[in-house]
Amino acid sequence: MSGLQTIIDRCNGIKFNRRNVVGIQYTRNEIPRVSQTPTKNPWKITVDMPSSFKYNEARSLMEELDTLDTTTPQLVTFGNNANLQWIWAYQGSLTTSQLNGLTVVSYVGETLTLNGLPTVAATTVMFKKNDLIQINTHPFPFTSTTDVLRGTGSTVTITTSRPNIITNSITGYGITVGTNCQFYMFCPNMPVYKLAPGGYERYGDGKILNNALITWSDSFYFYEFVGSA
Amino acid sequence: MDNIPAVANNKTAINSAEFIKLTIYNDYNNTANVTIHTFSSAYSYETIDGTQYSPMGGLLAVGIQQRDIRVTSADTSISLSGIPATDSNNMAIVLGTKIRGSKIEITRGFYNNNFVLANVAHRFTGIVTSYNISEERKNLVDNFTITLNASSYKTVLQNRVAGRKTNGTSWKVFNPTDTSMDNVYSLADKHFDFGVKPTEGATTASTATATNTQTNLTNTNTRGPR
Repeated sequence: MSGLQTIIDRCNGIKFNRRNVVGIQYTRNEIPRVSQTPTKNPWKITVDMPSSFKYNEARSLMEELDTLDTTTPQLVTFGNNANLQWIWAYQGSLTTSQLNGLTVVSYVGETLTLNGLPTVAATTVMFKKNDLIQINTHPFPFTSTTDVLRGTGSTVTITTSRPNIITNSITGYGITVGTNCQFYMFCPNMPVYKLAPGGYERYGDGKILNNALITWSDSFYFYEFVGSA
Repeated sequence: MDNIPAVANNKTAINSAEFIKLTIYNDYNNTANVTIHTFSSAYSYETIDGTQYSPMGGLLAVGIQQRDIRVTSADTSISLSGIPATDSNNMAIVLGTKIRGSKIEITRGFYNNNFVLANVAHRFTGIVTSYNISEERKNLVDNFTITLNASSYKTVLQNRVAGRKTNGTSWKVFNPTDTSMDNVYSLADKHFDFGVKPTEGATTASTATATNTQTNLTNTNTRGPR
């Protein structure tokens, strides 16, 4: 646990921004016309931090953030802190071993095709809307935009939240779902910290530990480092 | 006229990306000696007419391309990232190659609702006439932007001077043994009163001399010696 992962683990607010780059015009007769650039549509996550960090406990964190600076990406997950694992919890009905058997047949545009399907009822829900999915070893997750049932075929098709941004071949790769997915993020605004009065501790012998509380200059704006996808 | 199904019938939703092909001529005497860079604003590698376009080529922006019914000589510009990327170093491309005079082709690609490239339409062909590298530093944020300015082929053709002058010097540039224009100097600016008895010493204001050099080829007046 270090750096950006600590920020996620200790945050007190998260905002997800998955909006696309678009152009919108309204004609004189109020007909909207829209256009979209098919970008890599990176994850943009704003993380708020409390001001309750004690200086003597946060020194390693401050050094890690200073080392990352505004340019270095890092893998983060929402499964590291058990108290946050509910955020991206898998909603489908497959077991872990059944999920591990799934492999990628193709991923073209926003259509992901999987095989290696388990022998379960055709009505079994494999993925629900907003289930997080990641191609193994490629930490660029996406979500399912529809509920996906097992069906009776040898493959299933998932409509994903963004097109396939992975540049190398992923045929035959397995998948990771839910809270185990990883995000490859950097923090272009990397807030700076301020030492505010507080956090003093008095030992049993009456001595006082000089200390401070850490306040951050801004929210942490995480941006997915899709350049290496 | 191109029929582009992606935008036909007044479509209200369009997914499109710009694809740039930059052909740098390394040797002016050998048009086959070229280096081609391709990049796009798309999310993945795309192949158009056998050429693969990189999504990581550092493309930041593409200027407007004027669309007229008549052929126009509108210019456009392309902005590139100045930060050396892993697959290309745009600074080096601009500073270390013969970027001026390079050929630029801009194609717009249209995607279907599944974000698969469905159609393409060519938008601009021209040559790079100038480039600019600018640095924008604000506090601790330091960014470079490379701008390539391109003129359409019509502008190039408008500025081109072709042909030769009807004087001996110009004529001999192409064939040193060609004497067919040697007498032009003595005839230049002579006034002939046809039907009237020739008069000795007709006045002339000729400035044409045998010392005319090849630089005359660049003069736009190609009507003849003066």
